[in-house]
Amino acid sequence: METKVSASSSPELSPNHRIKLNIGGKIFETTVSTLQSSALLASLSISTPTQPPIFIDRNPDIFSPLLSLLRTHRLHSTALRHFSLHQLVNESQFYGLHSCPLSSFSPPPFSPFDASFVTSISPPSSAIVSDFSASSTTSLLLAHSGKISYYDATTLSHSSTLRTHLDGISAIAAITPNISAVGSNSSAGLHFYTRADHVGSLYWVDNSDTRVQKSRVTSISDSVGNGGESVFSAAFECKHGENAVLIVDKSTLKVVVEIGRQSGNSAKSSAIRKLRWVPQLGLLVGSAVNCGAFGYSGYVRLWDPRSGEMIWETNEPGGMVRNSRLGDTMGDIDVDPEGLYLAKVGSKTGDLGVADLRKLGSDPWVYLKDPNPGLSANWKDGGSVVVHCFKGNVFVGRDGGLEAWSKMEEREVVEGGGDEMKWSLYRRNYVDKVEDSERGIIRKIEGGGNRLFVSRENVEGIEVWETSRLSGVKAV
Amino acid sequence: MNSSFGSQKSEPESNIVTLNVGGELFQTTQKTLALAGPNSFLSTISSSSNSISDVPFIDRDPELFSVFLSFLRTGNFPSKSTNFDLETLISESQFYGVEPLLIDSLSNPSQFNPLNLEKSLLLPLNGRDTTSAISTTTFGSVHVAHGSKITSFDWSLTRKSTILTQFVAIDSLLAVSPDVAAAGATDFSGLQIIDLEKGYVKENLNWENSTRSSSTVQAIGSSNEHLFTSFESGRRNSNAIVVYDLLGDFRPVFEISRNEMYGAEFNSSLIPATKLSWVSSYNLLMASGSHSGPTGVLGSIKLWDVRSGNAVWEMKEEVDCFADVAVSSSLSCMFKVGINSGEVFFLDLRNLSPESEWVCLGNKTKLINAKKEGLGCKVECHGSNVFVSKGGDIELWSEVLVNSSLNGENRSGDRVFKRSLMGRVEDMGSNKVTNLRFGGNKMFVTRKDQQPIEVWQKNEG
Repeated sequence: METKVSASSSPELSPNHRIKLNIGGKIFETTVSTLQSSALLASLSISTPTQPPIFIDRNPDIFSPLLSLLRTHRLHSTALRHFSLHQLVNESQFYGLHSCPLSSFSPPPFSPFDASFVTSISPPSSAIVSDFSASSTTSLLLAHSGKISYYDATTLSHSSTLRTHLDGISAIAAITPNISAVGSNSSAGLHFYTRADHVGSLYWVDNSDTRVQKSRVTSISDSVGNGGESVFSAAFECKHGENAVLIVDKSTLKVVVEIGRQSGNSAKSSAIRKLRWVPQLGLLVGSAVNCGAFGYSGYVRLWDPRSGEMIWETNEPGGMVRNSRLGDTMGDIDVDPEGLYLAKVGSKTGDLGVADLRKLGSDPWVYLKDPNPGLSANWKDGGSVVVHCFKGNVFVGRDGGLEAWSKMEEREVVEGGGDEMKWSLYRRNYVDKVEDSERGIIRKIEGGGNRLFVSRENVEGIEVWETSRLSGVKAV
Repeated sequence: MNSSFGSQKSEPESNIVTLNVGGELFQTTQKTLALAGPNSFLSTISSSSNSISDVPFIDRDPELFSVFLSFLRTGNFPSKSTNFDLETLISESQFYGVEPLLIDSLSNPSQFNPLNLEKSLLLPLNGRDTTSAISTTTFGSVHVAHGSKITSFDWSLTRKSTILTQFVAIDSLLAVSPDVAAAGATDFSGLQIIDLEKGYVKENLNWENSTRSSSTVQAIGSSNEHLFTSFESGRRNSNAIVVYDLLGDFRPVFEISRNEMYGAEFNSSLIPATKLSWVSSYNLLMASGSHSGPTGVLGSIKLWDVRSGNAVWEMKEEVDCFADVAVSSSLSCMFKVGINSGEVFFLDLRNLSPESEWVCLGNKTKLINAKKEGLGCKVECHGSNVFVSKGGDIELWSEVLVNSSLNGENRSGDRVFKRSLMGRVEDMGSNKVTNLRFGGNKMFVTRKDQQPIEVWQKNEG
């Protein structure tokens, strides 16, 4: 706070002690316990009840909803009639209100079967988003052409846009709160940017192998650092297909170890398109799905990044794993780092298959049964499919449609019911409405905070989906 | 006005209460604060202290407090209250303990007047499924089943929760309490008692039928103490109405109307009930069901004495069977829409006998000529009002009490019912009505292929 009155001198105040504040000429009266959750209290010198109200030269109108927020621990929707979320967050930062308000400014917990399209955020220029990252708790990153746009993760207000030296960005990730990593289809290397500057680049080099040169980044893990880890990973691919995953130290931005190098001369050894870190098991999950003239092919690999050892892999079609559903190769695959399972959608049948990460064997897949036959009827062979696991749900984008598989609540958890039992509690529902699905083919789905973000092919900006606090009742 | 002002003035000084709310001083009387109700926070504030330094302090927003104080003083919300969202007022009213007053003022069933209703709001649902069943509570909370989900709205129509159920679609839904509903489907075995807040199944109730097959739910109804469920066996050869204890633990207490069918033997009284309504003024349960067969639509309506398990009255419908039937306790009347004629009929319950016949309220000539004009029509009674949907239109039938000196040609028996069409011209020709429900001062309408739920209420201002 800028207007520090004086350092706190009386820490022994009782919680019921009353405090008078004069905010821009208006008197507010409250108690110590109400102000306790903000830095405001510590910066005020409170001695006797008779002392004149402490003067703070700010707008009293916006202080009033913030004081209500401290009293009730929730933001009254009325406040949003007069002030934007952005203004309220800025003002709350001035008063040093930290943890409690931020959660009250964000939407309620995301529930896939009660979510709706809320808004679309679109950068001011060349707004077709090539990649985005929503995993950071502080900011949402949008890559569009050669630019990175930063948005506040809570209020979704635009904070800044940066022009990188790249012509196009195909992969982006927030690796620390300040540094983002970007890669491009058209030029080599992994590049690091703060919000203002280019702070470094990293190239995959191997002096002993001339094939390793001019390698481009195909995927960056969603920060192998959600649990405070000091490394992240990125997949590189050379012009002739040679590819590998590099584990990179976040502080030095140097390569720690290279894993999973392969020649790239067949679909089975093509570069990784999706990297996700599973902190609970210490596993890095890489996958690639290719669509060729003879249909889809793909693989999943699990590595221990410390030893570089591959723990498990499956290839479709064929491979060492026997596939009980011959010909129904994966259309897309993802891993749930919290629920610890892999989820894939078959390109032919459109069925969802799941595999427990802790019980992977020769054929770990369990195919979920959809009790509602009406939903499956819409699946057409060869359509585009995107899978994303978020908060215990599997989101599937099929062309333009967005659906979710979610688990029903149980009164008591039945132990030892087995996988089949557990997965029988999952139900498939459309998240979207028919008119939502007509906006374009879904390219990417990613959850962050209490929101789900969706980008569509050749559509500007990204969509924001929330479980709405208000019912959205419309007057006729 | 002058006299009431005078009487207030004469009250002793000591009844004046001074309050400091968030830095602003308010003065009112003990009597005004007592109107908040004996258990509310406001009524506990005492006037014992009167010195300025000892004024009771409430650490809340003074502007919101002034809204509630005005409300207590006048019984109405000041126009200034529109500066706040209803959601804000509700959460603040919970702090002061005056939420019941707020509900009474804004969603009181006694304010229900069908002649004031107009289509005013649309309640949106998420996802793609349209409403299959809907249930309301007295003060206007509403639970909506769409697909495998149930979404609940509270009395202020704020979305409270959406939960996932095991059903593919729910055909019967009944609110048992604000947070608990009974749900069943015609393609899923068992009646589920679901906690709508937490989303889990509290009880799974099944009917033990003689074929030991599954039992699907055809209809749910309730009285103050019982929950009634019409079950049909999965093989469709037996059915029954099971009566559960609503006040205790959903224990089955009676089983009535048990039917078993063997071979080709069929008769309309064996049809499972698809509508169950409690007739509180007679302590009887109305159960109705119909069946479309080669000879046309057959149906049966029975009135059950639940405790003895006897049907005290039964009517077999053969000529112009009901498309829907409803009972009004306050009118002591039963109403139906004929499936062929599409006309509304009534039956006076006050002099019911085995020979009682329907009295047609409309065009009697249609009885013979028309072909299934009443298909899909709905009848619902709410208080002494009868609502009938025909296609997308909603009719209101009300009893007009005429002086005995008037001897007109419009008399049907001794009672006169008059029809009025609800809504405006632009509401006509909408999609077919699938459900009509009532709660608080509102009517809820769902339509075929239309996802949002229509709320009809009195438009303020």
